[in-house]
Amino acid sequence: MRADPVTGEVLQGPLEPVYVYEAPVRLAHWVFAIAITVLAVTGYLIGDPVSIQQGEASESFFFGWIRTIHFIAGYTLAIMFVVRVYWAIVGNKSARSIFVPPLWSPRWWKGVFAQASYYLFIGKERLWVGHNPLAQAAMFFMFTLGVIFMILTGFALYAQQWGWGLTPMNLFGWQFVLFEQPQTLRTLHHLGMWYVLLFVMVHVYMVFREDIMSGQSVISTMINGVRMWKAKPRAH
Amino acid sequence: MATYQTQGFTLDDSGKRIVVDPITRIEGHLRIQVNVDKDNVVRNAISTGTMWRGLEVILKGRDPRDAWAFTERICGVCTGVHALASVRAVEDALGIKIPKNANTIRNLMHAALYAQDHLVHFYQLHALDWVDVVSALKADPRKTAEIQQLISTWKNASPAYFRAVQDKLKRFVESGQLGIFANGYWGSPAYKLPPEVNLLAVTHYLEVLDFQKEIIKIQTIFGGKSPHPNWLVGGVPSPINVSGTGAIGAVNQTTLNMVKDICDRTIEFIEQVYIPDLLAIAGFYKDWAKIGGGLAAKNVLAYGEFPTIPNDYSNKSLLLQSGVIIDGDLKNVQDVDLKAPDQIQEWVTHSWYKYAQEQNGLHPFDGVTEPNFVLGKDTVGTRTNIEWLGTEGKYSWVKAPRWKGHAVEVGPLARYLVAYARGNKYVQEQVNGVLKKLDVPITALFSTLGRTAARGLEAQYTAHMMLDFYNELVANIKAGDLATANVEKWEPKTWPREAKGAGPCEAPRGALGHWIKIKDTKIDLYQAVVPTTWNGGPRDAKGQIGAFEASLLGTPMANPAQPLEILRTIHSFDPCLACATH
Amino acid sequence: MSETYYECMRKQGITRRSFLKFCSLTAASLGLGAQGAQQIAHALETKPRTPVIWLHGLECTCCTESFIRSAHPLVGDVVLSMISLDYDDTLMAAAGDQVEQALEDTIKKFKGNYILAVEGNPPIGDDGIYCIPGGKPFVEKLKHAAKDALAVIAWGSCASWGCVQAAKPNPTTAVPIDKVIKDKPIIKVPGCPPIPEVMTGVVTYFLTFGRVPELDIQGRPKMFYGQRIHDKCYRRPHFDAGQFVERFDDAGARMGYCLYKVGCKGPTTYNACSAIRWNDGLSFPIQSGHGCIGCSEDAFWDKGGFYEHLTTVRPLGTAGIEGTADQIGGTLAAVAGVAIAAHAAASAIKQARSKTRNDLTSVPEKKVE
Ligand code: HEM
Ligand code: HEM
Ligand code: NFV
Ligand code: SF4
Ligand code: SF4
Ligand code: F3S
Ligand SMILES: [Mg+2]
Repeated sequence: MRADPVTGEVLQGPLEPVYVYEAPVRLAHWVFAIAITVLAVTGYLIGDPVSIQQGEASESFFFGWIRTIHFIAGYTLAIMFVVRVYWAIVGNKSARSIFVPPLWSPRWWKGVFAQASYYLFIGKERLWVGHNPLAQAAMFFMFTLGVIFMILTGFALYAQQWGWGLTPMNLFGWQFVLFEQPQTLRTLHHLGMWYVLLFVMVHVYMVFREDIMSGQSVISTMINGVRMWKAKPRAH
Repeated sequence: MATYQTQGFTLDDSGKRIVVDPITRIEGHLRIQVNVDKDNVVRNAISTGTMWRGLEVILKGRDPRDAWAFTERICGVCTGVHALASVRAVEDALGIKIPKNANTIRNLMHAALYAQDHLVHFYQLHALDWVDVVSALKADPRKTAEIQQLISTWKNASPAYFRAVQDKLKRFVESGQLGIFANGYWGSPAYKLPPEVNLLAVTHYLEVLDFQKEIIKIQTIFGGKSPHPNWLVGGVPSPINVSGTGAIGAVNQTTLNMVKDICDRTIEFIEQVYIPDLLAIAGFYKDWAKIGGGLAAKNVLAYGEFPTIPNDYSNKSLLLQSGVIIDGDLKNVQDVDLKAPDQIQEWVTHSWYKYAQEQNGLHPFDGVTEPNFVLGKDTVGTRTNIEWLGTEGKYSWVKAPRWKGHAVEVGPLARYLVAYARGNKYVQEQVNGVLKKLDVPITALFSTLGRTAARGLEAQYTAHMMLDFYNELVANIKAGDLATANVEKWEPKTWPREAKGAGPCEAPRGALGHWIKIKDTKIDLYQAVVPTTWNGGPRDAKGQIGAFEASLLGTPMANPAQPLEILRTIHSFDPCLACATH
Repeated sequence: MSETYYECMRKQGITRRSFLKFCSLTAASLGLGAQGAQQIAHALETKPRTPVIWLHGLECTCCTESFIRSAHPLVGDVVLSMISLDYDDTLMAAAGDQVEQALEDTIKKFKGNYILAVEGNPPIGDDGIYCIPGGKPFVEKLKHAAKDALAVIAWGSCASWGCVQAAKPNPTTAVPIDKVIKDKPIIKVPGCPPIPEVMTGVVTYFLTFGRVPELDIQGRPKMFYGQRIHDKCYRRPHFDAGQFVERFDDAGARMGYCLYKVGCKGPTTYNACSAIRWNDGLSFPIQSGHGCIGCSEDAFWDKGGFYEHLTTVRPLGTAGIEGTADQIGGTLAAVAGVAIAAHAAASAIKQARSKTRNDLTSVPEKKVE
C-alpha cells in the first residue's frame, strides 16, 4: 500500500491494516473526551448556576463542588495535554498530525477541499491512513488551539485566588493585562467552551457517519489503534 | 460689541479686561472674564466652562438600567443626584412604579447629600471668600469663646479649645509651607470680619472637614459607599430585613440606629454651628445683600424635590415645590413641564457644539450633542493658548438652557423663592426669621448674600427632613412593608420597542433634568440639563446672558488684581463645571 | 523644607503620646505590626512635610470627595501635618494668576522633591481643547508639572485607566496619565473613586518609607489591589453553597445571599472594598445589596451590563446583534445541530441510493510489488 506522505491519502493498494494511533494517543483521546464533557457541564453551571434557596450556607458546598470538579477536570485535561504533546514529539507520524498540520503544503490544502467537497456530496470519497486533512485542520484549529486557549485562560482564572505577586499569577496573570482585565478573560473562557463544543459536535457526528458509511474503520481505530479497510478499492 | 442692552442689563466691554482662570474652590474648570470701568465696577462678564467629557454621547446604545452609574460619574461632589435623575427618567419611560420604602430611602440619601454638600460648600469652598485666615492669628481666643457661647450652645466653646486651634494655625503659618492658603488675598480691605470671628470660622472649617463625612454615611448605609453610592431602576438595591435570619447585611436595626444618630447629629451641627456662623458672618457683610443679584430678582426656576407620595413629582407630593417665576412676579408662579417642547430648550449659538440651525433652541427630546470647537474673531490668542475669549462666537463648553426663551437662575435661592411664593410654611417662617434677624428687606434675598443664606436655611430644612424620612421608614417597616424594589419590568423583554421619559430632580445646585429615549431596549438618546448649565451657561442666540454673567454686573472691585469679589458672587452659586458640561 | 512632621505636629499641640498612637493606628491600617509603627514614628520625626501638587483634568472630583472622607488618618491631619498641599484648585484660597503662581513657585522651589497627584485625565484629541484650564490644554500643564516631580500618583480610575470619559466612543480621546508621563514612577490607585483610607494609606506609605509601595505589573500597590473583592467577600459562603440572589429584593436578597447572578463583578475585580470597606469601615457596595460593578478595573464601563454576569459580546460583522456568550454559543450549536441532522439525512439517502460500497472509494487496485 502506498500513501501520500503529506496528506496520508491512500494512493495504491493493496489495502492492509495500519497501526496509526499508538496507545498514549488513544488514552489521551478518551481522557480528553471525558474531561471536556465534564468541563463543559460544570463550566456551564459556573456561568449560570442553579441556586439552592434554603438552608445555612455552612451546610452546603454545592457550588463549591461544581467548581472543584471543574478544576479537577481542568487539571486532568492540562496534564494529559502535556503528556500528549510529549508523545507528539516521540510518537509516530500520526501522533503529530493534530499539532503540526502541513499548512504550507498546497497538496494538503487540496486534500482539505477534496474531503470538504466529498462531504458536500460533490466529490468522491478517498481513503486516508491517519486523519483526513479536513479533520486534521478542524482538530488543529478547533481542538488543539482551542484547548490550549482554554487551559491558559482557565489557569489564569484559577490563579486569581492567589492574588498578584504569587507564583500562579506570575505564570498566568499576564493574560489579564493582555486582555485589559479579568472580566474579558472570563467571557473569552466561556466563549471558548462553545468553540470547543462546536468541534465536538461535528467531530462526533462525523466519526459515527464515517464509521457507518466510509470505506475505513473509524471508531475502533481510536480504540485499538488499527485502521482497517472495509472497502474494495474501485478500479479507475 | 461696545455696549448693548439685554434683560434690563447694560453690557459694556470697553473697559479693562480681567481674567480669572482657574476659578478655584469649585468643582471642575471655570473661567470668568470681566471688563471693569474706570471705577473698577464690573460692566461685562463672560462665563466659560473649560471642560467637556461627552457623557451624552457615551450613553448612546447602552442598557438604560446602567445609565445611573454612568451619569453618577458626571459629578462626585453632588454624588448621586444624576443617578437619581437617571433612574427616575428610566422609570418614567418604562412606567415603573417604585415601592414606598424605596421612595423614602431615596429621599433620605438625597437629603443627606444636601446637608453634607451645603456644609462643605459653605466652609471648604465659600468661607475663605469672607474669612481672613491670617487675621485669625491675631484673635483673642477668650473673646472667640464668648462669641461662640453667645450665638449657640455648641459644645466646643472653651477658650482653651480655640487657643489650641489658633496655635495649630500659627505654627502651620510659621512653618513657611502655607499649602492651600498660599497666595491668598489675606489682609485685603474687602475682608470685614474681626479676628475673633475669623478664628471661629477657621475652627469650624476644620470641624466640618471631620463632620461632613459622618452625614454622608447615610449614603453608605443604603448605597454601599460614598461618593458614588449604588442605585437601582425600580427602587433601591438595599433590601430590608430587620428581624429575620440574614438581617445582617440588609437594612436592619443596627443600621437604622446609625441612621437615626446621624440625623440627630446633623440637625444639631447645622443648627448650632452652620446657621449661627452664617448669621454672624452675614452681619458683617450686609452690603453684599445689594450685590450679585443678577437674574435672581427676575427669573428663577425649580423642578421641586422630595416626593412624599412615591412616583408623584407634582406639587401635591413635593416638600420643596416646583415652579417658575418670571420678571419677579411672585404672585404668579408658573408650572414647569419637562416634556413640553416649548418650555425647556438649549441653545448652542455661543457654545462649542453644532446644531443644524444654530439660531434655534432644542428641547432635550430632540437634543444634539456634537462638539465643535471654534473661536470667535474677537478672541485673543490661539486655540491652545487663549488669552481673551470674545463673545461674538462660541466661547464655552456649557450649553445655554432657557425656559420659554427666558434665562433663569436655579439653586437653593430659586427653590426658596418658588417655595415661598407657593406658600410653603416652613420656608416662609425660616426666611422671615432671618430677614428679621439681619434686619434687611426681602429684596436682600436677590443677592450674593441671599443665595448663601438660602443655602444655609435649606441645609437646616433638609436636616430635619432626614429625621422625618427616617421616622417614615421605621413606621412603614413597622406596618409590615419591606419592599424596596419593583422588578416586574426588570427584564428588557418586558419593555416596549420605543419609550421616552424625563427625570426631574433638584440637585443641591438647582434644577436637574435627565431625558431618555429607549429604542429596542437600548438608549437611543440621552440628554441632561444640569443646574450649572442653567446658571453658568453663555449667551443665547438673542444675546441674553446667563445667571453667572448677570450676577457679576455692577460689582465694585476693591482691587481688580485680586478677584475676591468675583469669587464671592460666583461661589455663592456653588458652581460645578463637571456637571454643567458633562 | 526644614520642619519635620513631628515638629509640626508637636507645634500644633499634639502630644507625644497621641503622636505615637497615630503612628500605630496608621501602621495598623497599613497592615504593619509594632515594628511598622516605630518606622512610621521615626520617619515622621525626621522628615519635612512633603510638597504635593494635586492636578485636576477631566474628572468628576469624586476622588477628592473620597479623600476628604478618610477617617484613618483624618484628612485634616494629612493636609495640615503630613503633606504640604501646595497646589490643588479644588481647595486653594487663591484663584487665577495667584494660584497659577503658587504652582510655578512649588515646581521651582521643590524641583525633584514634590509628589504630583493627578485626579482625572488629559483628553489628547483635537489638540487637547476638551480641557483647557488657564486657556491651555490640560495635557501641557500635566507634562509641565510631571517633569520635575519625584513621583506621580494616579488617583482613581480616570488617571489610572481613563474611566467614564474614555468609555466608547471616547469622544475627547481621554487617556490615562501613563500615556503622557513616561519617565516617572506612577502609582496607580484605581477605583471610581478609590477608598479614602487607601488614598491616605498610599500617601502615608510613601512618606513613611520614602519609596513607592510595591506595585503589581499594572502599577497598583499590591497591598491594596493584590486580591479580588470576591476573595474577601463576606457573602462568599453563600457563593460556595450555591445560594444566590435571583432578583433584587427577593427572599435571597433579604437573606444576604451572593450577588453573582445579578451581575456582581467581585470575581474579576481587584480592590480592597471587601476588606477595608468604605466610610470608616461601614459598608461596601455588596453589603448594601448591589453587586460590585468592577469600578477599579480597566475599561469596566465597556465590559457589558452591570447586571450581566459576563460581558455582552457583539459577534464580528454584526453591527446590531449582540448577546451573551451562551446566546451566541447556543445559537451556533443549534445551527450546527441542524446542519448535522440535515447532513445525516442527506447521507442516509445517498447511501440508500448507491448499490455497493465499491463506488465509494477511489483507490486504484494495483498490487505493490
Ligand atoms: C469531547 C469529546 C471529544 C473530543 C474533544 C475528541 C477529540 C478528538 C481528537 C483531538 C482527535 C484526534 C486525535 C489525535 O490525533 O490525537 C480525535 C480523533 C478521534 N475521535 Fe474523538 N473526540 C471526542 C469524542 C469522541 C467520541 C465520542 C468518539 C467516538 C465514539 C470519538 C472518536 C474519535 C475517533 C474515531 C477518532 C479518530 C478519527 C480518525 O480516525 O481520524 N471521539 N478526537
Ligand atoms: C475545554 C475546557 C474547558 C471548558 C469548556 C471550560 C468551561 C468553563 C466555563 C463555561 C466557565 C464559566 C465561565 C463563566 O461564565 O463565568 C468556566 C469557568 C472556569 N474555568 Fe473552565 N473550562 C475549561 C477548561 C478549564 C481549565 C483547563 C481550567 C483550569 C483549571 C479551568 C478553570 C476555570 C475557572 C477557574 C473558572 C472560573 C470559576 C470561578 O471562578 O468560579 N477551566 N470554565
Ligand atoms: N450643577 C450641578 Fe451638580 C449639583 N448639585 C448636579 O446636577 O454638582 Ni456637581
Ligand atoms: S475615577 Fe471615577 S470617581 Fe474619580 S474622578 Fe474619575 S469618574 Fe470620578
Ligand atoms: S457577592 Fe460578589 S464578591 Fe461576594 S461572593 Fe458573591 S460574587 Fe463574590
Ligand atoms: S464597584 Fe468599586 S467600590 Fe469596590 S466593591 Fe466594586 S470595586
Ligand atoms: Mg446636556
